[in-house]
Amino acid sequence: MPLRKSKAEDLAQPLDQPVLTLEEALDLLDADDPAVRQSVARSLGGDHRAIEALCARFIAETDLPTREALAVSIIRTGGAVAVERLLPILSSDDAALRNTVIEILQALPADVAPHMERLLDHADSDVRIFAVNVLEALRHPKVEDWQNAVITAVRQYNVVGTALDLLGEVGTEAAMPALARVTTRFGDEPFLRFAAANAVKRIGAGR
Amino acid sequence: MSNPAIAHEDFHKFREFFYRKTGILFEDNKRYFVDKRLIERMEATGNENFRSYFTMLRFQTSNEELQALTNAMTVNETYFFRESYQFDCLVNSMLDEVVDRKKAGDPVRIWSLPCSTGEEPYSIVLYLLEHWAKLDRFDVEIFASDIDTEVLKSAARGIFTPRSVQHVPPALLKKYFTKLASGNYKIDPDLAASIDFSRVNLLDPLDTRQFREIDVVFCRNLLIYFDDTSRRSAAEIFYNAMSPGGFICLGHSESMSRISDLFKVRKFKDAIVYQKPL
Repeated sequence: MPLRKSKAEDLAQPLDQPVLTLEEALDLLDADDPAVRQSVARSLGGDHRAIEALCARFIAETDLPTREALAVSIIRTGGAVAVERLLPILSSDDAALRNTVIEILQALPADVAPHMERLLDHADSDVRIFAVNVLEALRHPKVEDWQNAVITAVRQYNVVGTALDLLGEVGTEAAMPALARVTTRFGDEPFLRFAAANAVKRIGAGR
Repeated sequence: MSNPAIAHEDFHKFREFFYRKTGILFEDNKRYFVDKRLIERMEATGNENFRSYFTMLRFQTSNEELQALTNAMTVNETYFFRESYQFDCLVNSMLDEVVDRKKAGDPVRIWSLPCSTGEEPYSIVLYLLEHWAKLDRFDVEIFASDIDTEVLKSAARGIFTPRSVQHVPPALLKKYFTKLASGNYKIDPDLAASIDFSRVNLLDPLDTRQFREIDVVFCRNLLIYFDDTSRRSAAEIFYNAMSPGGFICLGHSESMSRISDLFKVRKFKDAIVYQKPL
């Protein structure tokens, strides 16, 4: 039979990896070989002492699989430093990098929360939109409050539309006054009026 | 329970959320199925209405309830030739591309994970033996892994219920199985001996690092049980374990595109699968 049984444990073994000191591992984050960078990135996941270096390498990294390995390690490590280092990337022109940062931030709700109000009030409207994108999957009890603030204060059509959509999912009666004001503020925007009415309907259904 | 009924709008809200989290979409005709399980979970968690339950589901940091609900919403049945269009795709398309890139003597490696009680890896073996004409020219190594050592023992024993083999054509049943006095079916021991069964926790690097140069991965209906970070981590582990140009088959409700950018979508005649770029 041409089906040949091989034991998984007998497959080509990875190169013997010596136990690295933290300093050695951090140095190898900048190795020429992407496979080495990935391997080291994985090994450093969860080590808060490495978070500065992981974020710096992540921002500079151009090899997609290595960037992904770094992203997973940053998520596994988390912490305030990771969020502080990555938030500026929301202003980056590199859409792929920015999207990965949004996904990392979504996975770190407690660390992102202290920055949320500032992000939603950011001078750059694109950053405000990306902040709402972060909220879409953020597991945090203040998500509704932040969305209410967005639909109350923000003028950008697409930011408000995204927030209304999310309020339809997470909103409670506390959102009703802000939703009513949307109809007044955006009286000449039929889609936003529709989205607000839809959110009201969905919130009402759960009473 | 003061308000156990699920309102129409709540059903839609839940449906959108659940689809986004798991890739599983419930049509309107599944309403009874969904409502019943939602109400069961509301009762089990002490939530008196949909709103409080949904808030818990949406914001719980541990993801525990989403996991429990996903378990309740999915049917964990395994049987021979389940989602057989992917096995058709294997023998009609994927393997031909794989062997085109092989050097003489290089084996083709297929990894089934989670393999549960063995129906999937044995289905692969049967498809190769019956439907892949090039099998005589290439060595094929089949690895089958699961985190549960009990199901691995059962898989290695190779004894299956009539329900498990109900989709195996009678001719193949006769050719490769022996009917036991109990009414169950025992697979040909040569087939069992051709598969390497091993315990693997997909998210433990020590368990997965020996898997290298895998050409085709079957990982069906596992990632829906993982949280976002673990899914992402799993995708990265597969990427590392696979050969350039290798393929990965997920369950029908799962989408690698929603997990990671590492793989590209390949649309074949029989199935849509994901490929590690060359």
